Amino acid sequence: MGSAPSDGTADGLLTPFKIVVAGGFGVGKTTLVSAISEIRPLRTEESLTQVSVGVDDLTGVAGKTTTTVAMDFGRISMGTRLVLYLFGTPGQDRFWFMWDDLSYGALGAVVLADTRRLGDCFPSVDYFERRQLPFIVAINVFDGAPRYDTEDVRIALDLDPNVPAMLCDARQRASVKDVLISLVQHVLAAGPIDGHQAAHDPGVVGRPGPAG
Amino acid sequence: MRRYDRWIDGEAGPVVRPYALTGGRTDPAGNTVLDLIAVIVAPGPTPEPAELAKLSPEHRKLLRLCQTPATVADVAADMALPLGVVRVLLADLVQQDKIVVLPRRAAARPRTSTDLDVLREVLDGLRAL
Repeated sequence: MGSAPSDGTADGLLTPFKIVVAGGFGVGKTTLVSAISEIRPLRTEESLTQVSVGVDDLTGVAGKTTTTVAMDFGRISMGTRLVLYLFGTPGQDRFWFMWDDLSYGALGAVVLADTRRLGDCFPSVDYFERRQLPFIVAINVFDGAPRYDTEDVRIALDLDPNVPAMLCDARQRASVKDVLISLVQHVLAAGPIDGHQAAHDPGVVGRPGPAG
Repeated sequence: MRRYDRWIDGEAGPVVRPYALTGGRTDPAGNTVLDLIAVIVAPGPTPEPAELAKLSPEHRKLLRLCQTPATVADVAADMALPLGVVRVLLADLVQQDKIVVLPRRAAARPRTSTDLDVLREVLDGLRAL
């Protein structure tokens, strides 16, 4: 499989895909991304007017002061043209506005969950459901954390029956590989998306703003 | 990248605040906020030396990095500058037709049987890791 030429993409030209890795703060997103991909240093810089309203006094300097945040960013090259990029979402709510930017044109998302703080992944699940971006839930099995059946987690998260949920160890490359495979299978199983969503993709996000 | 290494002091970042490189601009020209995995390339011949001399060192470095097609995220990582700054600088070059955004090779969310074929290749690639 995979050797048959695909129209328009078998000419050796770079064909990137993007997967978003989401979940609460400290759930293991950085660990997951680094377990399977070549980590690249990427920083993003955002205006303090967006990230810390009410924290920093910006009187007179609104829009001029910025802060730098590191992003989890990794790449997996498959042959010469297929490249899979992993982007971790910022773990803190104050970077919520970046999610639209990260999710734009994404293949799908992995929501990483910790059974000790399951509630932390509610916002991620809500976000991808609203955005109709295919996602799977990967329960990161921490040492010493209570073991739950994936079915219990599904119920606790009120997951749609077709959303896959699985256990994983974000430190283990093989385990993370299984998670990504499950996600791509999930996207494939959903089949082609509706025609009305198949608008021309200009590769331009437009102005990223607060996601509300 | 080397040039910046000399100026980095621990966690403090470069001495020159990043948006000084954009002349204080935080919004990309023409509202061209490029997708993280948009593929960009500098088409055609390298600009004349006189033309290059009009560009900032950062713009020139971007042109060098885009000699072969690359994603915005990779270019930003290679520049060792925050994404927002790189997007502003790239938009300048897009406006001047020095860099073009290539059409997506395949839709991330499959729309055609071709898209599904490419996704199956991604699946095979993952299995082979």
